[in-house]
Amino acid sequence: MPPYQGQRTLLICLLALALMWADQRYPFVQSLRYLSGYVLYPAQQLSLLPSSLAEWMGESTTSRRDLLDENKQLSARNLVLELKAQRLASLEAENIELRELLSASEQVDDKVLVTTVVAVDPDPFTKQILINKGGEDGVFIGQPVLDAYGLLGQVVDVLPHTSRVMMIADSNHAMPVQINRNGVRAIATGTGSLDRLELIYVPNTADIQEGDLLVSSGLGGRYPRGYPVAVVDKVEHNAGEMFATVTATPSAHLDRSRMLLLIFSQGAGQVPPEDLWRIPR
Amino acid sequence: MSVAALLIGLVAIFFGFVMEHLPVPDLIVWFQPLWVLVIITLLVFQAPSTFGLWLAVPLGLLMDAEQGTLLGTHVFTLAIHIFLVQLFFRRMEIFNVFQQLAVVLVLALLHQLLRFWLAQVLFDFAHPVDIWGPALSSAFVWPWLFALTRLLMHRFGR
Repeated sequence: MPPYQGQRTLLICLLALALMWADQRYPFVQSLRYLSGYVLYPAQQLSLLPSSLAEWMGESTTSRRDLLDENKQLSARNLVLELKAQRLASLEAENIELRELLSASEQVDDKVLVTTVVAVDPDPFTKQILINKGGEDGVFIGQPVLDAYGLLGQVVDVLPHTSRVMMIADSNHAMPVQINRNGVRAIATGTGSLDRLELIYVPNTADIQEGDLLVSSGLGGRYPRGYPVAVVDKVEHNAGEMFATVTATPSAHLDRSRMLLLIFSQGAGQVPPEDLWRIPR
Repeated sequence: MSVAALLIGLVAIFFGFVMEHLPVPDLIVWFQPLWVLVIITLLVFQAPSTFGLWLAVPLGLLMDAEQGTLLGTHVFTLAIHIFLVQLFFRRMEIFNVFQQLAVVLVLALLHQLLRFWLAQVLFDFAHPVDIWGPALSSAFVWPWLFALTRLLMHRFGR
């Protein structure tokens, strides 16, 4: 062993502790993480090679008939969706008009970016995924992520070409929601299992039923208003306790969706990163 | 410090990161070996003059970025890990494979435990860490990787 090795180890450990302390307080340390992303990128791409190869094989050996079938199905679906979109356009126009009457600010469609899930975090205790868009595509920390069925989570870590998304079912995640039917507000927290959310601080007397749709209320300033989050599947009123026990099933397909949408909200949904890293006193 | 050993080592570490990132079926998700840690052990063990404490800083930062932990967590655990390997490696050379396996198991357990403690001390919530699964599987892959390096070193002569 080289001389003074114990002292050197101690020095590195102290440096590491200082770094951990700084990482929690100062946003500029994040750039170090961002730079590491460039170095990690080739390894990440190579590890995805088997799955992308399998996908490519699957795509290039699909028969002509299958493709035609799929094409037919998709155009039928497209027709249905366009029909809905037509109605939506008139509704939106009406909505803007009514809002103008109320002299409230008009809500325009959010800008979105399509992304693909490239990996699931192997740590079994967290519910996080990696997506193939990063800082170079304009992704920012705190950005909401959707799939075709509802809200899926938010970006918690941005690297140059990939980002880490914490799903709403992660046990460290909580978000403000409201019941679509009557506007009762609650907080939905993750439980660590992908098919269950819990509503906390719901009074025993609140009007909440099984089958109620929960939508994001936009109150936290992080998620935009009005996207579906979960469907209530069990309400238990406990006599003698202040709050009811309410569980809900996430609307987004947390364990299946591959194509996701990153939302660039206009105005309200965006919290500047500096504020995210400031620790509330 | 030999350039050849350095190059081979860097390539090995690269593949360690690839293996760590490889998507695995749900069945073995609790038993993902700590590939980078095992490869670092192997490098410090086989080429102590080239690979030492300095590995802890860049690799620790990379692992933090990869796993989304607080920057510095892995720098801390890797520094202690490398120091212990350097402390033990003279003795490990005369150990048989099963004794080496036991040492790797203890070191990997300590690494996971340190990660857990750091998370506990620094956050007010406890982020659970799977301690036994990765440590056991890391110990299990050790003899195979060790045999492979011996074979390669014998084949290419050193």
